[in-house]
Formats: sequence, C-alpha cells, structure tokens
Amino acid sequence: MTHASGGDGTIVFTPQWTAQAQFAGYYVAEARGFYREAGVDVRIEHPSATQPAMSRLRAGECHATTLQLCQALEIVDGNIPLVNILQTSMNNAMVIVSARGKDPLTQRGARVGIWSVGFGQLAICMSNKDHLDYQWVRFAQNVNLFVSGALDATLAMSYNEYYQLLQAGIEITDKNVYRFCDHGYNVQEDGVYMTRQYYEQHRDQARRFAQASRKGWEWAAEHPDEALDIVMQYVNRDRIATNRMLQRLMLADVLRLQVDRESGRREFRLRPDMVQLANRLMHEGQMLSREVTYEELTDNAISK
Amino acid sequence: MNKLSAYIRRKLSVRVSLWVVLFAALIFIAALSFFFYQAREAVRQEAFNRATQILDKTSLRVEGILNRVEVATNMTQWLVQRHPDKSDSMFVYSRGMLLNNPDFYNCSIAFEPYHFQDKGRYFSAYSRHQGDSIRTIQGGSDNYQYFFMDWYLMPTLLDQPCWTEPYMDFDAPTNSYEMVTSYCQAIKDKTGKTIGVINTSLSLNWLSHTISTVKPYPNSYSIMLGRGGTYFVHPDTAKITRQTIFTQTLEQADTAMTALGHAMQRGEEGMKQMKLNGSDCYVFYKPLGKTGCSMAIVCPESDIFGGFDRLRQAVMNIVILGLLLMLFFFIRIITRELSPLRRLAKEAETIASGQFDTQLPELQRTDEIGQLSHSFADMQQSLVKYIGELKNTTAQKASIERDLHIASGIQMGMLPKNFPTYPDRDDVQIFASLVPAKEVGGDLFDFFFRDEKLFFCIGDVSGKGVPASLVMAVTRSVFRTVSAHESMPDNIVKIMNQALAEMNENNMFVTLFVGVLELNTGQLLYCNAGHDAPLLIGAGVGELPCDSNIPIGVMPSWDYSLQEAHIFTGTTIFLFTDGLTEAMDADKAQFRMERVNSVAADALAHEQKEPRQLIESMSKAVHEFVGNAEQSDDLTMMAIQYIKKQDDVKLHKTLVLPNDTQEVPRLNDFVQEVCLKAGFASDVTMQLRLAVEEAVVNVMNYAYPPGTPGNVTLEVQTTDTRIQFTIIDSGVAFDPTAIPEVDTTLSALERPIGGLGIHLVRQIMDEVRYERSGTLNVLTLTKIISAPKSQ
Repeated sequence: MTHASGGDGTIVFTPQWTAQAQFAGYYVAEARGFYREAGVDVRIEHPSATQPAMSRLRAGECHATTLQLCQALEIVDGNIPLVNILQTSMNNAMVIVSARGKDPLTQRGARVGIWSVGFGQLAICMSNKDHLDYQWVRFAQNVNLFVSGALDATLAMSYNEYYQLLQAGIEITDKNVYRFCDHGYNVQEDGVYMTRQYYEQHRDQARRFAQASRKGWEWAAEHPDEALDIVMQYVNRDRIATNRMLQRLMLADVLRLQVDRESGRREFRLRPDMVQLANRLMHEGQMLSREVTYEELTDNAISK
Repeated sequence: MNKLSAYIRRKLSVRVSLWVVLFAALIFIAALSFFFYQAREAVRQEAFNRATQILDKTSLRVEGILNRVEVATNMTQWLVQRHPDKSDSMFVYSRGMLLNNPDFYNCSIAFEPYHFQDKGRYFSAYSRHQGDSIRTIQGGSDNYQYFFMDWYLMPTLLDQPCWTEPYMDFDAPTNSYEMVTSYCQAIKDKTGKTIGVINTSLSLNWLSHTISTVKPYPNSYSIMLGRGGTYFVHPDTAKITRQTIFTQTLEQADTAMTALGHAMQRGEEGMKQMKLNGSDCYVFYKPLGKTGCSMAIVCPESDIFGGFDRLRQAVMNIVILGLLLMLFFFIRIITRELSPLRRLAKEAETIASGQFDTQLPELQRTDEIGQLSHSFADMQQSLVKYIGELKNTTAQKASIERDLHIASGIQMGMLPKNFPTYPDRDDVQIFASLVPAKEVGGDLFDFFFRDEKLFFCIGDVSGKGVPASLVMAVTRSVFRTVSAHESMPDNIVKIMNQALAEMNENNMFVTLFVGVLELNTGQLLYCNAGHDAPLLIGAGVGELPCDSNIPIGVMPSWDYSLQEAHIFTGTTIFLFTDGLTEAMDADKAQFRMERVNSVAADALAHEQKEPRQLIESMSKAVHEFVGNAEQSDDLTMMAIQYIKKQDDVKLHKTLVLPNDTQEVPRLNDFVQEVCLKAGFASDVTMQLRLAVEEAVVNVMNYAYPPGTPGNVTLEVQTTDTRIQFTIIDSGVAFDPTAIPEVDTTLSALERPIGGLGIHLVRQIMDEVRYERSGTLNVLTLTKIISAPKSQ
C-alpha cells in the first residue's frame, strides 16, 4: 500500500500482461490525454512475465489492474474484495490448441500448458468436468515449450498465443482447436478492478478513470490504425518481442471480443448472467468456496 | 523493307555473305547455348558448394562449442547430484563453471520450490560474467519465478537435456541485451525425482555476428531461425526476435516461404529457389547443431550469375560484332572478286544490243571467272561469224519465200475462181474452196463444161509443199488435156494414171475423183482413184458408193472401174479432201467423218444445201473445231448442186416425213392437195392416196431398224401426161418390186403375209420402179393421165 503513490491522487494501473494491443484502449486514453481531460492522473506499469498483476495489487504496487472475471471471482473468494470499475471483454477468448492435428478432447491426461500467472480457470473446470484429467504445466510466456514439443497441448488466447502459434508455423485447423466460447464457457474476461478499499476512498477518481478508459477503447475501435501506432510505441518502449502484424491481429480480435454476441454492441458492462455462469462453472470445478455475486463485484454508481 | 529485299535479291555478294553469316550465327548460337548452359550449371554448382562449405563450417564451429557446454554441464550435474543437500556449494559449482569456461555466458543451478527448507521458495545459484569478474547471486524471486521458465521446464518435460530457443537476455546493470541459448539438464535425487535444473548459457552474439557477416556474394545475406521460426539473425534488425519466417504469411499466403520455414524447423539441410522481395533467390540452409536453430544463406540469383551474365553479355557482343564485321568483309571481298563478272555482264549487254565488235575486258585470271571471260570472248567471235552467215541465209530465204509466194499465186491461178463461176446456168451450181496448209499445196480441184456435160475432179497429192504443188499442177494439166477429148471418167483416170506413173520418179501418188454429170438427165458417171467418197445431200445425206481403186501414179496398169448414179434435181454432190476429216484441234483430235455428216445433215435440215452455203457452214464448223491450232493439211471442198428442172413439169412438190405412221394423215392431206391441183377426179385421187400410203407406210415400218428414227421423202411431179411420186429413204436396201405377184385366188388365210400392199400399188399405178441410188432407196410410182379430166 505504501509503494503506490495514492496520496498524490495518481492511479497506478497495471494491465495483467506485458505491453500489447490487448490494452490498446488504456494506451490510447493515456497517449491522447483522455485521462488528463478527465482530471485523473494515471500511470501504466506493466508486470513482469512471471509476476501476476494481482500480486502487485495485493502488494499495493498498483491501484487498478485488469483481471479476467474468473480470476476476480477467485480473488474475491479469497477474501480480497474487488470492484469492477470497467468491463471491456464481452466474450471468452480462450482456446486449447493441441499438437499434431489431434482433437484436444481426445487427449486424456495430456500435458497442457497453462499460464503461470493464473488465467485458465475455465480450462481447469472443463478438464475436471469432462474427465480429461489434463496434466497442467504452468509456463511463463510465449509458445516455445509447445513448439519444442515438450507439451501435448497448450492454452492460448485467440488474440495472442493463437497468432503466435500460427507465426511459429504451427498448422491450426478446426480439428486441433477447442474454443471455449463455443462450448458453453463463453464467460467475459478482461475488466478493470480495484480493491474495494481503494475504491471506496477514490470513488470519483475511479469513475473518471473508467470513463476515460472506455473513451480510449471507443476511440481505438474507430481508429484502429492510429491505435495500433500508439500500441507499437508502448511495445517498442518495453522492447517486447512482437511485431506490428501480430499486434494488428490482436487489436482486431480484442475489439471483436468487446462486442456482445447478443446485442451486437460494445456494452462495457459486466453481465449478471455471466457472473452467475462463471460462478456455476467454477463452483462445479470446486474452485470457489462460495458464490461471489454480481453485486459484490459492482457498485451501482459505476455500473449505471 | 521491300527496297531492302529487292537490293538483297539484286546483289549476289550480299546474298552469299548473308548466307555465310547466317550459317556462322547458327553454329555460334548452338555452340554458345551449350556452353552457356554448361557454364551456368557449373556456376550454380559452385554457388551450392560455396554455400554448403560456409554452412558446414559454421555448423561445425557451433557444434564444437555446444559440445564443450554439454560436457561441462554434465560434470557439474555429477557434482551437484553427489551433494544435493549442500545449498551453498551450488554457488561454488556455478561460479566454477564460468571460471573454467570463460566463454560461457552464465550458469544457474536452480531448484524446485522449497527444496532447501531454509532457503524459501526460490533457490537458484546464478553466476555470470561482469566485466573481468564473475558475479554470483541467488537468482529466483517473485519477479523471476524461474520454475515457470522454458529452460527449467523443458528438460523435465522432455526428460532429457536440451537446448532452449535462443532469447534476448537483458542485463539491467549494463542495460544491454545478449542473445543467448541455454543447455539445460535436470538434477535428480537418488529416487530419480527431478529436484532442479542446471542451466548453462552461451552467448550467441558471436554466432549471430559470424552468421550475419557471411556474405559469399555482394548482395547475399544470412538468416538464422529458432525452432519457432523466429529470426535471430536477419539483415533487417527490426525483425530479429520479433518476427518469424511465417509472419508475412499470416497476411499473405506464400507457399514457398512456408515450405522453407517448415524445412528449416524440421532441421533439414538443402537448397530452395524462390522469390524474395521480388527478386529470384537461392536459399541454402542447414541446421546449427543441436540448438534447434537453422541457418540459411540467401543469395540473389543476379549475384550468383552476375559474373556469368556479364561474361555472357561480353561474349555475345563480341560474337555479334564479329558477325557484323564478317558480313561487311564478306560483302567487300565478294564484290571485289565479282567485279570482272559485272564488267563482263555489262559488255554482254552491249553485245546483246547488237554491237558485236565490242572489246571485252582482258582478264589475267585463271579461275572460273577468267575461264568464263575467255569462253565469252570465243563466243563473241563465233557469234560474229554466225551472224554473218545468218545474214546470207536470211537473204536467201527471203528470195525463196518471194518465189514461193509467186508460185502460190500461179497455183491458185490454175484453179477455177470467181464463184459462182456460172451464175446463169439453170442446171448446175458449183462452189469450191482450197486453203493450202503451206504457201503452196498438193490439193486440186477442177471442172468445166463440154457437150452438155460437167467434167469435174478433186484430188490430193501425197506430201505437201513445193513437190506436191508441182505434181498437183501436172495432174491438173493432165486432167484438162485428157478430158478435152475423153468423156468416160474411168478412161480419163486410166490415161492420167499412166501419164503420171511414167514420170513418177519420186514415188508420189495422187488420190483422185473424176465425175462427168449428164446435165440433161442428171446421170452421173464417175471413177474414184483412192479418194474420199463424196457425199450426196438431197432427200437425205449419204455417201456415193465408190469402188476401191488405188491412187493414180503408182501402178500404170491398174484397171480403174466406172460407176454410175442418178442425181436428182436439187441434190448436192459434196467433194472434199482428207484435209477436212483430218483437220486437227490443239489436242490433235480429228474433225472426223461423223462431224462432216452432221454438218451436212444440219445444212439439209435448214434448207442450206446450196453449194456456197454448204461450204461456208462446213468451213465455219472446221474453224470452230480447229480453233487456234495450226492448219495441218491442205483443205479443199467442192460442192455441185444439180438444179435442172424438167421442162414439162407443171407441179413439183416435196414432203419429208419421219418414219412414224402417226404422220399418215399429213401424207394423205398432201396427196389430196396435189391431186386436187392436178385436177384428178375424187375416185382416182382416193386410189392414188391409197397406193402412196401403202408405199410410204411400208417404208416407215420396215426401212429402218425398229426404234431408229429416219426420214421418208415424197416428191411429186405432174406433167400433162403423168403424175409421178418418188419415195426416197436412206434405210436398208429393199426392192419391193422384187416381191412376186400375189396369188389372189387363194383365200386370205392361205396367202403368205405381206405382198398384198405392193400388189395393190401395182394395180393402181401404171409404172412402179425401184432403184438403189447410193445409200438411198428410190421408189418411183407413175400414173399415166390419158386425157385431161374435169370435175
């Protein structure tokens, strides 16, 4: 708590991954001065590859972080109350890609890569539910393990690792990909969370931060090329080993995931039914000790 | 273009030179194509060898260093496994590794979380070079949870030591990146359980530097790919670690690039030809030891074959220049060599224009042109001599021609001319024509009147030209002389034969027809000595029957036979020589007798048997047939029409009918009309009609073979004392008067068939007479009119 410079009103925001187009909206909001216009100081600090963003939040190194809904439920279940101040994702992006053209659902007991920083709750649920008994191998970053043949399958985000696999020359067909969103696991992912404690103290700042961030995303959706330029600035500054092509694909996919399947719009809201679905799935997967309600995660003032 | 081709056609020197150069060019093209192909293959092979050498060298070098890393790591692993519980020793081991191997980048000996209870979650003995010293620290932390790193996971998961994908290692104190790859080996306890991993890294900067400076050709470059296709060496540094060989293919499919990427990922070695950034390139690739990396050398085709292409261009230029020079000099040399020929040609033209005394150039050459010049000079001399002779000959020939022309005039003068010769005669009309094939000919004809007789002859002397014409003149003179006092044609011919045979030293002979026509009666006496039988054109067309006598002038003792025929009023005798029947057209086909007959029949049908008309239509037919062909033989025709009318004839009418009994009503009308005019009583008229009908129908039915068309001519003459019907046909000879009288006492059933008709005719008519005149049957029925009758 002492590390974050909460006192001078600056919000330190940590996206849950190294710099990439997944966080384009926040970069846009910062680069185009939306935060400044909203009267809020925001500093974006990325975590390292093996450091979960949540641990920075817990350690008070940042005030806001992006989390997947399932992660958030897990954390709240672990007695750290969180508030969702902005929900960007409306769809699930997780896939399983298996090697050698095999159907992931036939790979019982396979060694499957999973992010060490803690995404992939739904995959664990699915593995349990379908008795696939995957042997989870936690990895830090990139797809090298899978490419080197050390894994039978790997979890991947459709906007990131999926394209990295393609870029590594892996052949991906309809057969060796399992998309969670198409099998009853379409649970929202990225949203911006704060600890309830911080939120209670900085309600107004949080609201302005959320609105400016949303504006950043809307601008990025309207100006994807300029947004990509901004993303590349952040990427290059952090010397991330990626390229413009991957980032363009990622941005397009992230923006696609922000459109609600049912309404066809960018809604920027947490859906109560999705919270319920996530609760149910994680409960079935014995990953939650109790139900974390929609109300627990939200504040009426924000969600309206 | 046309001018150029005309120039080439005109100039032998240009043409020959072009052929030679063209042939040389073909040989050059064939030889150079083969050479260039072989050379190109050699260059390609050389490039392949060169690239392969470089790749092998680099690979070997990498292999050597990798082996050292592996050996050193193996030894350290052995040490660690002997003392797995002594955490502090780990620092010594990792440090020792770098001390003994100064070219290694770093070494960490990392353990599973909480392996050493007193060391907490993380324990990794990490050493690396820092300047000249070695820094050794405890490496794991919350920010660096090493057990999730590839190097830690891979040897465990693969259950064997392995090399990681190269990665950029960031060194915070120096703020520098180093490309490294790590050899990782699992540390196991006595139960075989993995308790940690030894990781020895090797900087690849030297490798990347070595590879990036590999430049066998000016514009060639090298690349290095990791297992995932990531570029670790590339001339475009922005791509290094950030892009893979497949990145471009995400947006735009490139099967060649994809295939290359996969081949390199699989650790294959080889060469591919492909298009990179728009230019054709050769890519040579080979895996780099066990690192999983692959190196490739990209050589633009223009670089590999640059020298070769320049050489080829130079050679081509030299060849083209050489061929042009060759063409130039060939034209010059051939032109020079042929210049005497040109002079000779010019002089020949002068000679050809008539200047035979032109001085030919004096050539001191012994080659073909010299020989030609000498031959030409000889020819010129011969020509001058020959032309002189020719002049004389031509003068002589002109003189002969003049004589011949006069001779022709004389010859023609011998023949009767100024047709119609006797226009006032009421008994006969004559027309003749003689067209010699040469200036003078061997055909003759003649006629004259004496003692109310017409003497005429037509003949053809064997051979042509002057000899024939002389014999012709003699024959004609002899005819005149003999016939002046001799009236029988056979005698005339006999005497002429003897006379000619006597002076016939050259064995020439004459075919001759001599006729004497009694003008009052129409009786014709004639003798034919081997000549074509004349045609009689009267009621029909038929040949005058002729005995086969030989031509005169051959056998003085030959006994020529006399023949006789009756010529009816209006009948035309058509005489001709073989120049008519044997007239030939351009295809050597002959006019033939059939055509003569056809023209005569045509003339008869169109009432054109008057001599002049007949000969003109015959001449016309022959000319049309012959066309432009040269006349092959003398052509002589003579026509004599007997036109004497009986003094007492009051009525003379003719009817021609086809041999068709359907025509009988016309016949009856005709007879009825004539009898009416003659003033016969109706019963006599009926009888006459019956008799004529019997006779004509008989002819219609039997004269011609069944189905053959033919004519029946009926002439009627009446005088004060008689009426005479003459029935003429050209059918088979048949004398109805020769049929015996019918025995009318027998019953109709017992009597033989036929004979009754002629019996009837005999009963009605006073006289029934038959004669065979030439090819004609002539049946004359006469009825005496006793006294004038009246109605």
